[in-house]
Amino acid sequence: MDNVIECNNLSHYYGKKLVYKNLSFHVKEGSILGLLGKNGTGKTTTINILNGFLHPSGGECIIYGDNSQHLTPQTKSRMGFLIEGHIQYSFMNIYQIEKFYSGFYPNWKSEPYWDLMSKLKVSPKQKISTMSCGQQSQVALGLILAQDSDLMILDDFSMGLDPGYRRLFIDYLRAYAKAENKTIFTTSHIIQDMERLIDDVLIMDYDQVLAQCPVEEFMNEFKQFNFDLENDAVDLSKEDFVVNFEKIKNKVELYTYKEESFVHNYLDKAGITYKNFVQIKMGLEDAFIGLTGKY
Amino acid sequence: MWKSIIYKEWIKVRWYLIMLTVFGLLVLGVIFLEVQHDKIFSNANNYWYAILFNGLQYYSILKFIPLLMGIVFAFAQFYPEIVNKRIKLTFHLPLNEDKVILIMLLFGIAGLAISYGIMILLFLGASNFFFAKEIVNAALISVTPWFLAGFGVYFLLSTIILEPVWLYRILYTLVTILFIPLYLVDSVSGGYGPVNLPLVFLTIIISVSLLFSAYRFRKGEM
Repeated sequence: MDNVIECNNLSHYYGKKLVYKNLSFHVKEGSILGLLGKNGTGKTTTINILNGFLHPSGGECIIYGDNSQHLTPQTKSRMGFLIEGHIQYSFMNIYQIEKFYSGFYPNWKSEPYWDLMSKLKVSPKQKISTMSCGQQSQVALGLILAQDSDLMILDDFSMGLDPGYRRLFIDYLRAYAKAENKTIFTTSHIIQDMERLIDDVLIMDYDQVLAQCPVEEFMNEFKQFNFDLENDAVDLSKEDFVVNFEKIKNKVELYTYKEESFVHNYLDKAGITYKNFVQIKMGLEDAFIGLTGKY
Repeated sequence: MWKSIIYKEWIKVRWYLIMLTVFGLLVLGVIFLEVQHDKIFSNANNYWYAILFNGLQYYSILKFIPLLMGIVFAFAQFYPEIVNKRIKLTFHLPLNEDKVILIMLLFGIAGLAISYGIMILLFLGASNFFFAKEIVNAALISVTPWFLAGFGVYFLLSTIILEPVWLYRILYTLVTILFIPLYLVDSVSGGYGPVNLPLVFLTIIISVSLLFSAYRFRKGEM
């Protein structure tokens, strides 16, 4: 499979503040990649670089063979872009905005747009600005689907949506992307949503990448073990195999890529006494918090 | 594709453009009602004398109207683009970004030109009804820089609105404050004759300033 997006050694600073350095990743054709990270780790920065709205301090992103800083109209016509908060030309109504965008895309398919619009209880001449967040999200999604773009870049698509709209958005999007072999690069604050949507995950922390692999692989390999220490002064946070070590009094949450037997052996060899050892089944959100820490 | 851009611009500004044009026509109505009034009550001979020898400009209330129209029009067209950084949507369209901005600008110029054109034609028509050709020509020379000021402020204000860097915004604002009064210096009727052409060239030069702000916006400068 070809790579639709290839970012090599991407670095960015805002003034003297480093956002990240030497970030490299790629997105395969037909895959859905979720970029996860806490606030301020560079998710929107990355989206802006991909769309050519920000000049990186170093490195480059190649999209369909074009440097993202100089996207040709041909490449842009293959890219759908959802701005954080489902921003659209809200001074238009749903008819005007469809008429406007259809003039730009030769493969424009109005059917999925009107299909989604028929689910909204809006009057035909109602301006988008007077619609609810959820309704506006459906307009934005409908426009991207009608555009029939090969690559969709979605910046925090779940922002401001209630659970029903989020679920509708995700289910519609995934079914569409898989049926039409579309590529999606997305960020979201709500990690539970991502679990239903994405194939691959890229988890960022402040100035570094913590994980980059298929979600299934990440969920199989990253583990959480809980146990109670006899001696609550024990600190395992500096050990090589420990990714994250959270302790409240003697109750421990230990996150690692190692197997359960490895942890048992380590604790036994180190003479650390413990009880109630149990592996916790994690969802993506738990794993994300386990990897990045609660603070 | 350019038709779609024009469609979007039209949706944004149509009511503003119509209202501004109506406002301009109302001002012309006031001017010529006053002319009619003064001609009757001051006696036509005295009124003409005042215009020819005392520097009376019967159209003086028109002075800031095109400027005001340019200000409102620039806001109506470009402010909606910076709300929530919507201009990103425009730049993401499958068109060269400079071309998109130039189409938007040309639309703005055409919109203002139509509105001003209607006003100027009516102004000339009504002036010809009341006055001799020489007075009308001098009046046209005098009002030309006022209408050019409307275009000038439209170009500069659009640049300021779209500018993402505050330092440049302040700089452009200072330039606007210093530059626009050049069009509005008090002068006798027809006094602007020698400088109207240079003012046209200056206005054309500043017309592309918007491209610089748009470039900085695209490159994410803050």
